[in-house]
Amino acid sequence: MKSRFKNDIMLVSIILVVALILFLFFKFSLKTGDMVVISINGETAFKLPLNTDTEKTVKSELGENVILIKGGIAQIISADCRDKICVHHEAISKSGETIVCLPHKLVVVINGEEET
Amino acid sequence: MKKAICLCLTFLLSLTFTGCREKYEKFTDYSFDYFDTATSIIGFEKDESVFKANCEKIKAKLGEYHKLYTIYSRYDGVNNLYSINTAHTPLEVDGKITEMLQFSKEMYDLTGGKVNVAMGSVLSIWHNYRTQGIDNPLEARLPDMDILREAAKHTDIKGLEIKGNTVSLTDPESRLDVGAIAKGYATEQIALWMEKEGITGYLLNVGGNIRTVGNRPDGKKWQIGLENPNGEESKKYSEYLELTDSAIVTSGSYQRFYTVQGKEYHHIIDPETLMPAKGYKMVSVINPSSAVADALSTALFCMDLNDGKKFVESLENTEVLWITEDGKKHYSKNFKDYIK
Ligand SMILES: [Zn+2]
Repeated sequence: MKSRFKNDIMLVSIILVVALILFLFFKFSLKTGDMVVISINGETAFKLPLNTDTEKTVKSELGENVILIKGGIAQIISADCRDKICVHHEAISKSGETIVCLPHKLVVVINGEEET
Repeated sequence: MKKAICLCLTFLLSLTFTGCREKYEKFTDYSFDYFDTATSIIGFEKDESVFKANCEKIKAKLGEYHKLYTIYSRYDGVNNLYSINTAHTPLEVDGKITEMLQFSKEMYDLTGGKVNVAMGSVLSIWHNYRTQGIDNPLEARLPDMDILREAAKHTDIKGLEIKGNTVSLTDPESRLDVGAIAKGYATEQIALWMEKEGITGYLLNVGGNIRTVGNRPDGKKWQIGLENPNGEESKKYSEYLELTDSAIVTSGSYQRFYTVQGKEYHHIIDPETLMPAKGYKMVSVINPSSAVADALSTALFCMDLNDGKKFVESLENTEVLWITEDGKKHYSKNFKDYIK
């Protein structure tokens, strides 16, 4: 009887530990899972992880924008739009921050846990 | 005991896995079909289909206001601002137009003429030079002051007559341009409609005209990051603000401009000098109404800082952040209450 009680305690402890690990895992994966979401005319075109350096050329019938993700920040480094406001825009990294290219109807937004 | 453990297990696992269920989620919709700018709608819903259905309703309204308020194109079967500008006779229009124009006249009086929707003749010249300058940067030019002065003879707001639902411009050379008011006015009307319909927990951003509708269901406040026009890498956002059932509208010299011989000329034209207003990089106005905030941000952009500060102190529920050309920030009395 005594050993069964001990076993039960053990089981409860294991369950608690597993639950804790799962909980932390979810929290952790959400925190580091910031994505760079690129949409054209309201439709999501690409989702890229913010923590992976990459250069993406996005083409549509309206034109072309080159998005650079490097060191946890994203920016538009070149575009053939007429005003170039998107290229002059500062790099973004925090959830909710956006860069808009109005002539190309393109939005780059950081999607993560804490939003604006 | 076994039963107790089983229950405990179920309980813990359900905590871990369903923690995210039944919760409100944040959704965003981007569109580019209204007021020649980008619109974003942010909403908290449990169900994406509800959000999408609400967005469709909101966008249908935006489309309706856009068609009525545009000065750039004609739509079949609609008497809009374009029609008024080209009619040369009294025209019967939708109540949404007369109410907006009536509001524009109130804003003209309130701001001492710094917001004048009858300035279309002058603004259309700048619009044409700017558009050509952007399309063809090597040949970008400034409009001749003589042409601007001639056009400015036809900007008397009294020439805009509103009788019932009939609108007329008594001066045939006069033109309306509601660029400083229409977006904010339409956004406000839609926000009021949403409140009535119970569509809350939303944020509308129509080209920088930001209006929050109701609180976020997660209890957090709406956070709005104002862009820093100084371009300091270290501090990209000039300010993070927290708003509840309020609007913030920013007028910035960096939003729309063109370059002539290395110098930038933006789109906010001072009614007195007929040139792009000098002094500020941006002016942000907080007011419960996005219509008022929109009009005030343009008016304050055309006032010097001291006059602007005095003017703002005479108004209720209005707080302002000015960023002058030297990059310095100036605040109205209680603006800092909104800073996070
Ligand atoms: Zn662009």
